[in-house]
Amino acid sequence: MSEFYEGMAEIFEVNVNQISSDFDLHGADAPWDSLAIVSTIALVDDCFNIMLDGQSLTACNFVSDIEALISSVKSA
Amino acid sequence: MKAESGRNIHVTGSKVVGVVSCVPKKEVRNEYFHSTFTEQGVTDVIKMIGVQTRRWVDDNVSAGDLCLAAGKKLLNDLNWDPSTIDALIFISQTPDYRLPSTALTLQREMKISQRCIAFDINLGCSGYPYALWLGMTMIQSGAASRVLLAVGDTISKIVDPQDRATAMLFGDAGSMTAIESATSEDQAFFILGSDGKGANNLIIPKGGFKDYTKANDARLKDKNSACLYMDGGEIFNFTLKTIPTLVNETIEFAGLTLASYDYLLFHQANLFMLKHLAKKIKCPYEKFPININQFGNTSCASIPLLITTDLSKNFTKQGAQVGMFGFGVGYSWASASIDLSNLKVAELIEYESV
Repeated sequence: MSEFYEGMAEIFEVNVNQISSDFDLHGADAPWDSLAIVSTIALVDDCFNIMLDGQSLTACNFVSDIEALISSVKSA
Repeated sequence: MKAESGRNIHVTGSKVVGVVSCVPKKEVRNEYFHSTFTEQGVTDVIKMIGVQTRRWVDDNVSAGDLCLAAGKKLLNDLNWDPSTIDALIFISQTPDYRLPSTALTLQREMKISQRCIAFDINLGCSGYPYALWLGMTMIQSGAASRVLLAVGDTISKIVDPQDRATAMLFGDAGSMTAIESATSEDQAFFILGSDGKGANNLIIPKGGFKDYTKANDARLKDKNSACLYMDGGEIFNFTLKTIPTLVNETIEFAGLTLASYDYLLFHQANLFMLKHLAKKIKCPYEKFPININQFGNTSCASIPLLITTDLSKNFTKQGAQVGMFGFGVGYSWASASIDLSNLKVAELIEYESV
C-alpha cells in the first residue's frame, strides 16, 4: 500500500506521513476535483492494475473509501 | 484473427502520398488564462494537460477554411490537377454550417469536378484513422482512384471560456490528406470500434435537434449547455480500458511487433494520459511523438499534425512504418497500421486571415 500512499501524497502535494486511511479527501489540503480523480485512476492502475471508474471515485470521502473500491474490484 | 476491440479490416491497393496541416497564426499562451483561473489554477491544470501554447482561429475562420488552405497547398505540391480528384470527405465536429456539408463548399472552392463524391462525417478524435479506412476502401472498391481527406476542427469555438476542464486544452487545426490507387502490395490494417454508452461524457448538450439538458444529468448543473461538456475522469477511464488492447491487437493484426514500428502516432488527448498510455503499452518515448505542448488537443487533426511537424522530414525522406490511434468523443476509436514510405509531401502551414 505504500506506493499507493506515496502517489496520493504526490497528488495532494502533502507529506506522505499525512496520508492514511482516514485522510479526508475533502479536507483543507485536498481538492478532490477532476484533476485529483484522474490522477488517482492512473495511480491505482499503476499500483494494482485495476481500473476504477470516475463516478465511484467522485463519491469517495476518505482514502479508506478508495481502498474499499480497490478491494471490491480485486475480489470481483 | 478477430479483434476484441473492434472490427479488423485489411485494405489493399492504395497509398498515402501527401499530408498538409494548417494552423491559425494566432498563438494563445498559458498566461492568457491567468485572469480567469489565477496563475496557480492554470499551473495545476497545465501540469496535467501539458499544453504550453495553442493556436486559435479568428471568429471568421472555420475548420473548412483551414482544410481549404491545406488542400490548395497539397494539390500544388503534388502537382495534382483538381479534375483528377474522385472523392473528397470532410471529417469534423465543427462544420461550416449545419447544412450543407462542408465537403461541398470545399469541392467548389478547390475547383474539383462535379463528377466527385463529396460528403461529411461527424467524428472527433477517432476521425483520422476512420477517414483513411473509408478513403482507402473507396479506392479498393473501384469507386475512386484519388481521394482527398479534409480533417479538422475548431474546438476553441465551442468551449466555455470559464470551464477549467476544457478552456485551456484545445487548439484549432485543419488538414488535407491525399491517397491514391497503388499496387496490391500497398496495404493497410484497421481496427474500428464504437461504444455509445459514453455519448453523454463528452457532449454539447444543446444546439442540435435534441436537448440533452432535459435528461437532468446532475453533472451539467451550472454548465453552459451551448458549450462542450467533458467528464475528464470518465474519458480517461475509457481510454485506459480500451486503447492498450487496441494497440496490441493492431500490431498483431498487421503481423508486426512493436519493434517494427518507427512511430506510434496517438491522438494528442492530454499529456498525462499520453504518458500513462506509453507506459502501459511499454512504448519507448522515441517512438511516441508528442506535440500537444505546442498545439493543444486538436481533435481529429492531431494525428495529421503529428505527421507534419517535427517528424515530417523523417517521413518524406526515409518513409516510416506507423501505427495510428484515434479515440474519444462517442465513444469512438480507430487504429491504422500503415507504411508511409510513399509520402511525398508532409508540410505544416499557417493560416493567414484575409
